[in-house]
Amino acid sequence: MTAQDHALCSHCLLPIGRRAMRRTVNGETCAFCCYGCCIAYQVKHGKTEEWEAAWLLIRLGVGGFLSMNIMLFSLLLYSDAFSGADAEMLPWIHLLLWLFATPAVIILGGPFLREAWLHGMEGRLTSSALIVLGVGAAYLYSAFATIEGSPHVYFDTATMVLMLFTAGYYLDAAGRARAARDLQPLLAAESEWATVVIGDGEYRRPVREVDAGVLVRVRPGERIPVDGVIMEGESHTDEALITGESRQIAKGVGSHVIAGSINLDGPLLIQSSGVANATRWAQICRSVRDALIRRSPSQRLADNIVGVFVPIILVLGIGASVYWARHLPFDRALLIGLAVLVVACPCAVGLAAPMATSLGIGRLARHGCLVRDPAALEALARIRLIAFDKTGTLTSGQARVVAIDSDGTRADVVLAHAAGLERHSEHGLARAIAAAAAARGLEPVAIHDVRVLPGRGIRGKSDGRIVAAGSAALMRELDWSLTPNLAECGRRREASSHSVIYVGWGERAYAVLSLDDTPLPEARSTVEALRCRGVRVTLLTGDLPAAAVRIAAAVGIESGDIEAGLTPEAKRAALERRRHDHGMVAMVGDGLNDAPVLAGADVGIAVGSATDLAREAAAVVLPPGGLRTLPWVIDVARAVRATILTNLAWAFGYNLIAIGLAMAGVLQPVLAAAVMAGSSIIVVLNSLRLERLPEPAPSAAAEGAPPPRSTAVPVNSEALQAGRPACPVPPI
Amino acid sequence: MTAYLVIFVAGFAGSFHCIGMCGGFACALGRDPQGRGATVLRHLLYNTGRLTTYCFLGGLAGAIGQVICTPQGTTVPLLGGPLDTGQRILAILAGLLMIAMALQFFGLLPRLHRITTGSGASTLAASLGSLLTAPGHAAPLAFGVFNGFLPCPLVYAFAAQAASTAGALPGFLTMAAFGLGTFPAMLLMGGVGRALAPAWRQRGVWLAGSCILLLGLVTVGRGILPFAVHFAHGWTEPA
Repeated sequence: MTAQDHALCSHCLLPIGRRAMRRTVNGETCAFCCYGCCIAYQVKHGKTEEWEAAWLLIRLGVGGFLSMNIMLFSLLLYSDAFSGADAEMLPWIHLLLWLFATPAVIILGGPFLREAWLHGMEGRLTSSALIVLGVGAAYLYSAFATIEGSPHVYFDTATMVLMLFTAGYYLDAAGRARAARDLQPLLAAESEWATVVIGDGEYRRPVREVDAGVLVRVRPGERIPVDGVIMEGESHTDEALITGESRQIAKGVGSHVIAGSINLDGPLLIQSSGVANATRWAQICRSVRDALIRRSPSQRLADNIVGVFVPIILVLGIGASVYWARHLPFDRALLIGLAVLVVACPCAVGLAAPMATSLGIGRLARHGCLVRDPAALEALARIRLIAFDKTGTLTSGQARVVAIDSDGTRADVVLAHAAGLERHSEHGLARAIAAAAAARGLEPVAIHDVRVLPGRGIRGKSDGRIVAAGSAALMRELDWSLTPNLAECGRRREASSHSVIYVGWGERAYAVLSLDDTPLPEARSTVEALRCRGVRVTLLTGDLPAAAVRIAAAVGIESGDIEAGLTPEAKRAALERRRHDHGMVAMVGDGLNDAPVLAGADVGIAVGSATDLAREAAAVVLPPGGLRTLPWVIDVARAVRATILTNLAWAFGYNLIAIGLAMAGVLQPVLAAAVMAGSSIIVVLNSLRLERLPEPAPSAAAEGAPPPRSTAVPVNSEALQAGRPACPVPPI
Repeated sequence: MTAYLVIFVAGFAGSFHCIGMCGGFACALGRDPQGRGATVLRHLLYNTGRLTTYCFLGGLAGAIGQVICTPQGTTVPLLGGPLDTGQRILAILAGLLMIAMALQFFGLLPRLHRITTGSGASTLAASLGSLLTAPGHAAPLAFGVFNGFLPCPLVYAFAAQAASTAGALPGFLTMAAFGLGTFPAMLLMGGVGRALAPAWRQRGVWLAGSCILLLGLVTVGRGILPFAVHFAHGWTEPA
């Protein structure tokens, strides 16, 4: 366990802050954010043979036994069972209650006293101090009352308040642990164990001790702890945790596997290909952990309020006692002050934001969307304008053949010649041409003596003729003529920012291929979905205006919302202007060349790349191909914010009303403790509603079997078949 | 007193039903290595813990019933006394709940069975496992206390009955009668449980179901019938 592990509660995975409680459970040091988590964790994880878990339960059970008996006797007292002839029994009953109450108060109140003492030594007043003060006052008063023989004792109040608080904290913590369910597998990367095979033996080792080249055995149902290559066995894996796509992927000997994916159905022997703490899983783990530890603005506000809450309640409680003591008997006034102390609940205020945030972050992370800061999640909910970068964000970032303008020759013939040449090249445009030919089922023309001419193109020989594909300069170099039509076509295509390749054989050029980046299939629906959510969409790109207009039209961004030809500084300035007009703005980019703009936006969203999460400038990182999840991410962010606001409204409203009632003397202390225990449980339940949010829309790949992106050729069929240059604007 | 006797009988008969779950705990509690006396003490402590929880639940249910229907704080004795509208509604609800539980005992409401003995029981029981083997006298007592809170249709039925009494004291007495009824069988579980034929267990369950059904019908009757008071007065002995 690293020191970092102790920044999050071992039970509910919420940040611990300064209220840490440390315990050793099952031989491991654990840290808890509150007494409730401490109990719930030990009850859930404490091993049967461990004395500590049993001891905790014994203490709680015996405490419960004593306080329930006190309550029963007190009920008899309240129903006047000892009036009249039995009145001389009363002092003895009081003595019996005192006898029961003393161990009960020590057993149940011990943890609260210890916490109050530790925090008191640091000069802080926390809610446990309120409990200790209230219970202590009730117990001491009752003890004096017993000695003096007065008719009323309040041992039941003291013990029932302690019991209700303990039970309330436990239920609260048990509910909170459900928030941790989504986060658990993400945070397991550092604490996971691996079965290492050395020689004939198998040993369990912490995953952080597994180096490259080590053989690791993974049984069906286990999580693969390291990146590596399968040496033995066949299975299916589910990489949902890493890629955000839940589907089975068949793996055999030689297949690569990713750390964090689940081995579904066959035992595997894997050779680790890197250090365990350098896997993407480990990076995600660190990123999520960092995000959970950070505090959002609303959280800071709540924490500040909690900081001054306890002293104020203390003053109010004492004030209420002093005021009522002038009108009522002393014991009644004391009970009113006690009710004020126990009814106030800073727990609900403190829990309002972190519970909802961690549920939201966990939910997003399960689908591969990483949020690096809770503040970003809250800001995202308020976004009214999103600016997109073009290349690699709205578009695939890979060129495709979009048009073939020929000089009377059939497009297929042109493509077969070009593909025959280009399959010898590794250039991005060359791959696009080969893919276009393959998609149309063309057999590339056999070409030999192929030479790549850097910067100009490629040439070779077929049937004794020279075949060439490349720039206009290459055509001139070969002294091949271009018909005016073809030359004009090429110029116009180039002017609209296409890449053009002239193709010729024999002694002249026959056609010009136009290649361009094309929008992602999900870009249009994403832009529409954002607009439905009241978010304005703009395009900020460094590309030429013509290309920007074309892509914007294809994905449905209005022409007034485009700015093209921007340098990174100009992009930032453009974003700044929009922030001035629209309030909060988000910028979506691919995270590599947009870093300054992403950092400059209120929320920077990186799509796809995110190779090194630690150095990203973006606050939100979507998985590769994750543009489609953006509207869902905004839905989640808005739901989280709404939950935080309702939680805070409830917590403050509850406290105002409850303290008011308690000060007016309407609320019995036992009832007050029950209400207080319920208030933070309501915050937990309200936050758990976030679990019912819908899943993100499934991707096209998961829905059916569309053609792979790189081989799709949405070329203008008219231009392909046409005998003469048409130069149409390709409809995309 | 008759009513408390019926409850005691229901508890006694019903405890054969408990052999399934609580009986298992009683068996697992096992024998104390220090001899027969220590073993008896161990089981007595366990049952005392259980009884305390039942009594507490009864008192609490009665007090809640009292808060609901008689804000003035006048308690009504079990199955007697004048009834106001709130008490009638409470009696009908509690009676219906008891009838539902009784039907479930006869195996007529399988869905309800799943709800009343939900999965919470098994996880809680698993967590409490450490208490069964822990040494000392405090562990069985603590286990008994938690055991009392485990979901159980019998407990629900009599808690409902306790609530319908609308008083902390009669509520407490209701559950105390029930808890004492379960004492003999649970105490004997260590040795006798295995020897008891399944047919006898089934008869015990039917007897318990019949008792609860009877009590449920009477409770509903108190809420509905205009002559309930006379009926109840004729049925119970005047205090």
